[in-house]
Amino acid sequence: MITGSQKPINEIIKLVEPYKKVLILGCGTCVKTCFAGGEDEVAVLASALRLSFKQMAKSIDIEELTIERQCENEFIQEASPGIARNEAILSLACGAGVQAMAKRFAKEVVLPGVNTTFIGIQESPGIFTEECSGCGNCSLAIFGGVCPVTRCAKKLLNGPCGGSQNGVCEIDPDTPCAWHLIIERLTTLGQLDNLKTYIPPKNWNTSLSGGPRKLIREDHII
Amino acid sequence: MEIHNTPKLTLFHCINSFEETPSMFDNCQVKTVKMACASMTKDIHLLRAFEAGSDAVLVLVCPDKGCRYAQGSIRAKKRVDYVKTILDDIGMDGRRLSIFNTTAKDSRAITDIIQKTLVALETIGPNPALNHLN
Ligand code: SF4
Ligand code: SF4
Repeated sequence: MITGSQKPINEIIKLVEPYKKVLILGCGTCVKTCFAGGEDEVAVLASALRLSFKQMAKSIDIEELTIERQCENEFIQEASPGIARNEAILSLACGAGVQAMAKRFAKEVVLPGVNTTFIGIQESPGIFTEECSGCGNCSLAIFGGVCPVTRCAKKLLNGPCGGSQNGVCEIDPDTPCAWHLIIERLTTLGQLDNLKTYIPPKNWNTSLSGGPRKLIREDHII
Repeated sequence: MEIHNTPKLTLFHCINSFEETPSMFDNCQVKTVKMACASMTKDIHLLRAFEAGSDAVLVLVCPDKGCRYAQGSIRAKKRVDYVKTILDDIGMDGRRLSIFNTTAKDSRAITDIIQKTLVALETIGPNPALNHLN
């Protein structure tokens, strides 16, 4: 999932201040799971904005809507009537969702209400961790399913640095050493020999460092 | 502009933490909201109580270890703390929202909480969004 957190309310207030009618548009998938932009967060933000604007004696009409996914045209369609009724859309989706809305509604103001953070998982209730950097060339098979590209602070691909101590990374005692985890996993799987494979310097052309990427599935293009 | 002299309170409570007794609500208007468990305390309900004109919102829940669903009171406290930060951020003063561990039988403690809330409101002031509520 894509994780993110809602922007500070005062930043959001500044974004919506110029408009009298605002649609707060939630996304019911990733950002809902990380409590940044599902219908509950839309409702709380709408209420907080109303209270805030009432204190300033400013009038603002806020409409609330949460669609299944803002990154897919099929679901975006549902927001059309609400968008037509408002002057601006405050999207609580990730950056992909915000941009999908902006592409689909080229003449509408679409504002971001969430800071998109990373591709990750909910490790335990309320705790989200980054697991994948979308490097475009996945090597998890060799690393026992633990990604050093993302989870090793130095992105080391051929074993730990000298700073790994008691299973934690030297950059932060709250960060597990990815290489400690890789070795533990490979031991469990009986695949420690994987460590003998030399991993050459990574070709970052397939990652964002190679410029914006595009995925093409010819068989789905009509 | 509405004249709003008698403080308005909304009191959310779980079934084990509150029972109304005579004179408990002297000098204020109180709307009570009964919850099956403190874990039903939701951020949006607390905020909507302020939108509805409450000057202060109280949440009464069981003592931490007394919650029959184990963690209801702890969850309620975390949600209250979260809404307090929102209130602070929007200039409404988080102190107008509070949570207490009470038992229904202890009406003296509950009356005391309400009266102390009224005293605190003299410093905090009325709901600042009230005069502009639609
Ligand atoms: S718009 Fe973003 S947050 Fe929403 S479903 Fe798509 S990827 Fe997830
Ligand atoms: S190797 Fe690349 S694609 Fe695979 S998990 Fe790591 S960053 Fe993601």
